[in-house]
Amino acid sequence: MPDQDVNNLERRCPRLGSDISFRYCLLSGEDDGPCFKILDCWWEYFDVADYLRQNMPAAAFAELIRTAEQPKNKIGSIIDIARRAQEKTS
Amino acid sequence: MEERKILLREDEMPRQWYNILADIAMNPPLGPDGKPISPDMLAPVFPMNLIEQEVSQERWIDIPEEVLGILKIWRPSPLVRARFLEKALGTPARIYFKNESLSPPGSHKPNTAVPQAYYNKEFGIKRMTTETGAGQWGSALAFACAQFGIECKVFMVRISFDQKPYRKSMMATWGANCVPSPSMETKAGQAALEKDPNTPGSLGIAISEAIEAAVTDGSGQTRYSLGSVLNHVMLHQTIIGLEAKKQMEKINEYPDVIIGCAGGGSNFAGLAFPFVYDKIHGKQIEIYPVEPAGCPTLTKAPFVYDHGDTAKYTPLLPMHSLGHAFVPPPFHAGGLRYHGMAPTVSQLANEGIITPKSVRQRQVFEAGVLAARTEGIIPAPETNHALAVVIEEAKKAKEEGKEKVILFNWSGHGLLDLTAYENYFAGNIKDIDLSDAEMSEAMKVFADHPKPQNLKTAR
Repeated sequence: MPDQDVNNLERRCPRLGSDISFRYCLLSGEDDGPCFKILDCWWEYFDVADYLRQNMPAAAFAELIRTAEQPKNKIGSIIDIARRAQEKTS
Repeated sequence: MEERKILLREDEMPRQWYNILADIAMNPPLGPDGKPISPDMLAPVFPMNLIEQEVSQERWIDIPEEVLGILKIWRPSPLVRARFLEKALGTPARIYFKNESLSPPGSHKPNTAVPQAYYNKEFGIKRMTTETGAGQWGSALAFACAQFGIECKVFMVRISFDQKPYRKSMMATWGANCVPSPSMETKAGQAALEKDPNTPGSLGIAISEAIEAAVTDGSGQTRYSLGSVLNHVMLHQTIIGLEAKKQMEKINEYPDVIIGCAGGGSNFAGLAFPFVYDKIHGKQIEIYPVEPAGCPTLTKAPFVYDHGDTAKYTPLLPMHSLGHAFVPPPFHAGGLRYHGMAPTVSQLANEGIITPKSVRQRQVFEAGVLAARTEGIIPAPETNHALAVVIEEAKKAKEEGKEKVILFNWSGHGLLDLTAYENYFAGNIKDIDLSDAEMSEAMKVFADHPKPQNLKTAR
């Protein structure tokens, strides 16, 4: 599927609860990378894994897979964000 | 005349929440040093009275009168016999649902927003912060804070802020200050805007802003609030199931099957946990959390200790998860992801006390549309997941000729989520299956991980 067509695809984001484009998912993760749920959300629409594998640096793709597979422990994440915020402002 | 709604009087409302931590064995969440997280690590983020609930082992926790007073705005919620859905399915099953769409913001979320606002006020907190995507949780907290006179600040992901004007209007009507995230009010927001002034934002940035706004308030009078996953959130939601038990007793019914959608876990836990208590104590009952087939974290992923982030800052937690080395094959990437699930729900699935089910997107919306056309309420997309399994079970009862009693949670209405239905009607939703062979391959990556104890709750 051509890039432009892919970027314009839309679906409901289960995290936001509103419609977003595939392009948004490519840029809404940590450090402006793909959202950790991008594979989850788009596999039913097109071969998103193959698309990303071909369009991302190999290391970044491997990192995305790793991030997607690891659980987000809320309590741990909250403590981590709080610690970083306090460090930045102290 | 056939009875349709089973109602409780206000003086029959449950006076205590049920805390499942008293009845199940849990592996503790571990910090980066491998030691359990302590309550003081959470003190800058949440008020201590809520932290105490987060870690409490007490089975029953009193619901304060002030909280009950606010919950009475819409509670007790009716237990409804879905007679029209039963008729459409031609099933001998008797289907009941708790109608949680009747709360002021339209979902189950205020069941925890109200007590959270109360406990913050009791602790001397003047201002609460949170993040929201499309605004369901933000509106619930805005409503709750209005009831207790607490200032409420909501960081709403900018793309949703622009797309969902009604949600921000709801929050403003309840007096909350809802700003698009990233904002210039926090360092996290400033950094994001510096990179790209036109950024649509993300949940990650909004969460960072909300937590930063809480923990860097020098007055110490601001705290953060979360509407899912955490133990105290599950606790507050149990009022749903506790009411349902009383309502079923009134008509001499008891469910054979309990069904709820399990995203973060709170609407499922709210209905199911009081019945899990019964099951632990010997009742024969099937309990099904339902999740999208795209990411069946409980149905297929193994139970392991894993980190929450790649840098390994976050603690090791016992969870259903896949490892890092797995590369999803084309068209099979979904179904193999972990996404945040309450640890208590994960534990119950691991012990086999509850039995996760997964459903596919088209089936989900088919169910939602049938429910809307029979029972009248347009369900939230999340509720449709539960409905899909309700319909499966009702059809199974028909095939088996069994008069099964099915109870599920109608967790919210979908009136602010109609685009999802539009996409279904436009044929934009497809179904694709996964293979078990790929799952087996994925599980090999845990060879080097520490293994949580497969704890079993005494029964």
